[in-house]
Amino acid sequence: MKKIMTLVLALVLAFSCMCLPSFAEVEYDLTLRVEVFDRSIAGLNLEDCWQLHYAQEHFGDPNGIKLQFVPVSRWEEGDILTTQISGETAADICITYNGDLVNALIADGGVYALDDLVDEYGANIVAFLGENLLSYGAFDPDGDGVKAQYTIPARRISVVNQGAFVRSDWLKALDMEEPKTIDELEEYLYAAKDAELGGEMTIPFSYAIFTSNPMFAMRYYISAFVNFDEITEEDWIAYKDNPEMLPGAKEAFELFNKWYHDGVLYENFAVDTDSTIGDTYMTQGYFGYFLQQYDQPWRTDKNYQAEMAKNVEGAEWIPVNAWANIYNGKTYHDNYDAAGLTIFVPGWVSEETAAAAIKYLDWMCVPENMFAMQNGVDGINYHGLDENGLPLNAVPTDQVPDEHKMHVGDVVFISNGYNFGDDAKNAAYVARSFPGYEAQVAQSVLYSNTDAWTQISFTVPIQEATDYSATVITKQNELIAQTISCDPADFDAVWDEYIQAILDAGADKVIEAYRQAYLDGNYRGTFPAAN
Amino acid sequence: MQNRKKPLFWLFRDWRLYLMLIVPVAWYVMFCYKPMVGVIIAFQKFSLVKGMAGSTWTGLENFEFVMNLRDFPLALKNTLWLNFMGLIMGFPVPIILAIMLNEIRNRGVKRVSQTLLYLPHFLSWIIIGGMVLKIFAPTTGVVNASLLRSGIIKENIPFLTEGPTWQLTYTIVGVWQNMGWGTILYLSAITGINMELFEAAKIDGANKMQQIWHVTLPGIRSTIAVLLILNVGQMMNISFDRPYILGNTLVQDYCDVLSTFVYRTGITNAKFDRATAIGLFQSVVGLVMISAANFVTKKLGEDGIW
Repeated sequence: MKKIMTLVLALVLAFSCMCLPSFAEVEYDLTLRVEVFDRSIAGLNLEDCWQLHYAQEHFGDPNGIKLQFVPVSRWEEGDILTTQISGETAADICITYNGDLVNALIADGGVYALDDLVDEYGANIVAFLGENLLSYGAFDPDGDGVKAQYTIPARRISVVNQGAFVRSDWLKALDMEEPKTIDELEEYLYAAKDAELGGEMTIPFSYAIFTSNPMFAMRYYISAFVNFDEITEEDWIAYKDNPEMLPGAKEAFELFNKWYHDGVLYENFAVDTDSTIGDTYMTQGYFGYFLQQYDQPWRTDKNYQAEMAKNVEGAEWIPVNAWANIYNGKTYHDNYDAAGLTIFVPGWVSEETAAAAIKYLDWMCVPENMFAMQNGVDGINYHGLDENGLPLNAVPTDQVPDEHKMHVGDVVFISNGYNFGDDAKNAAYVARSFPGYEAQVAQSVLYSNTDAWTQISFTVPIQEATDYSATVITKQNELIAQTISCDPADFDAVWDEYIQAILDAGADKVIEAYRQAYLDGNYRGTFPAAN
Repeated sequence: MQNRKKPLFWLFRDWRLYLMLIVPVAWYVMFCYKPMVGVIIAFQKFSLVKGMAGSTWTGLENFEFVMNLRDFPLALKNTLWLNFMGLIMGFPVPIILAIMLNEIRNRGVKRVSQTLLYLPHFLSWIIIGGMVLKIFAPTTGVVNASLLRSGIIKENIPFLTEGPTWQLTYTIVGVWQNMGWGTILYLSAITGINMELFEAAKIDGANKMQQIWHVTLPGIRSTIAVLLILNVGQMMNISFDRPYILGNTLVQDYCDVLSTFVYRTGITNAKFDRATAIGLFQSVVGLVMISAANFVTKKLGEDGIW
């Protein structure tokens, strides 16, 4: 009996390790596998969703192509894509935000050159993206001066980036106007601290360090202290990732150091890096100022405004534009460049599959198709259209029946945001997606577009940036944490120490490489002073 | 003597048992031995597209690049230092705990305290990280807040904000998390001690402490030795989640260890060749250490692990 049991157990173990191959259907000419980001939305099965069926019916069936979605977790997309590429199991249309990975693949010859196919099948892609944006996907990997269309950039519908916010209820209590300069902001912060407007725990200035991109906030603050008459476009581009090296930058850090020691700036900013405590403070109404994405207070998934108003009666965030340059009064904001995520076709696919990939992207760029794929079905995903043809009363995803659930950005990835054909309509629709806060969002967009400049990017892969950026960023985090919290008497010494540490960590090489790229003309973006 | 029979005899007689063994052996081959081939990319400029066979050989270039980075010596030092502190402070604790647990006579109390001690082992570091922040944060953390308000301290105790104290916090939290789990092996070793030895000691007039010193501890000496060797062999390895989650920007130069360093310089930008180079370096040093520890243990008269 024992022996038989052992045998059975052994066989069960062995069989459970095997998996049976499934049989593929053969009624289509070819199967096109398309990567889509998966955000684990309850009830949405991306491998069998309404958007897939719609695309299959209107694009796949007429062209004899079997469409298949390959869901990849949004949060680990770079790692998963890397694994899939090394095992040649990646989809036929890949998407990623990891530019380093794409650069490396292009250099290794792992990406399909799409020029001929875009010419032949991609008229609608060109119409939707525009020649200029499409040129973001052209690379010259072997340096012979001949560029080829290796990737197709997604188009960002909104290029607005950061916004800052203050408490309108605090301003009212202090009988103050909305701050328009750094001095006025400082006055508001100190007055709020003295009056303990958020109770005993009042923290007028919330500083968040954004450890993966510390210059998101700091570059914005630094640009208020830089004398743009003294720096050249060359410096601006060379110090693209190191604004702390610009003349004047030190003053911003010194100001924060002062605020920190006066109890105005959030004391735990360097420890509470993922905002575990900060989010609680935010909803408790302790904070009087913060900087984030321009729409952060009113986002539906993390609505700081609504959460705070529940706890503190009358508490309200309003956008503020106070970081006026101390030399010329301009409030510099950086905008994203219009190129969003990167779309590419792996180098090993057949010409037929690559052609099908371009045909699919082209189909997606046709206005009617994009409208259907982004908005779904009238009566289910929305109810009726307004006079401009924009959908009304969009139904929140969790209230849509499972078979009609969709995620716009993850499936219609070539458009980063809702697109209705012109900028005014798009902006109107964005504001409408913040019901109850349309005015604040519109004001925030206006502020964030004031004196805006476009982020710098390069048209050639910068190897030094790939090699050193991660180590440089950790030193920048340290510079921010240490200079803000150090004893004011030691400020200069700490500043010099960490600036040197940043350079030693590889920033010197990156800066030189960027400078060379500027001199060679291989860059995009704007110099703020040129506006 | 049965042992003299040919090996094939045993294979035929117990073939069903050997059949069961196939799965775990296959697992080891596939997931532990086959990937070892991959260490060759440490000597290549590895291309994802061309694979191992197509990538160009670069000798020790990856090692040179990584070791010349500013943070490498720091990460190496922190790895060794944090592991060393963990060993010094963490190694004796499970032994003491196991002996104490063993002396509890009431079965119910023993079970409950064991379970409570195991519990932290099953908490993910994400959760512990959140707890640590709420407990040890300056001004608002439970400890600092209550000490400040009661006037015992004037300034925050920098549990998380100054390097050396952070390292202590890191070690103590680690000891707390693992001490219960660590007792399991010792408890089973204690159970294996012949009860007659205790009775004999009692008859000779040994009190509780003397029994522990002269019977219990010598009885688990070989277990202690084996675990010590294994621990020393792990000196170069450090988990990723614990330093990554407990660490913060203010103590960057004290919390950066090889695993977080590898993540930053190798994984985030898809430079697997460099990540592999560091991994290989860690393994080689680990092998040297474990061999040395094994050698010393044998010289001290214990069995060692090979």
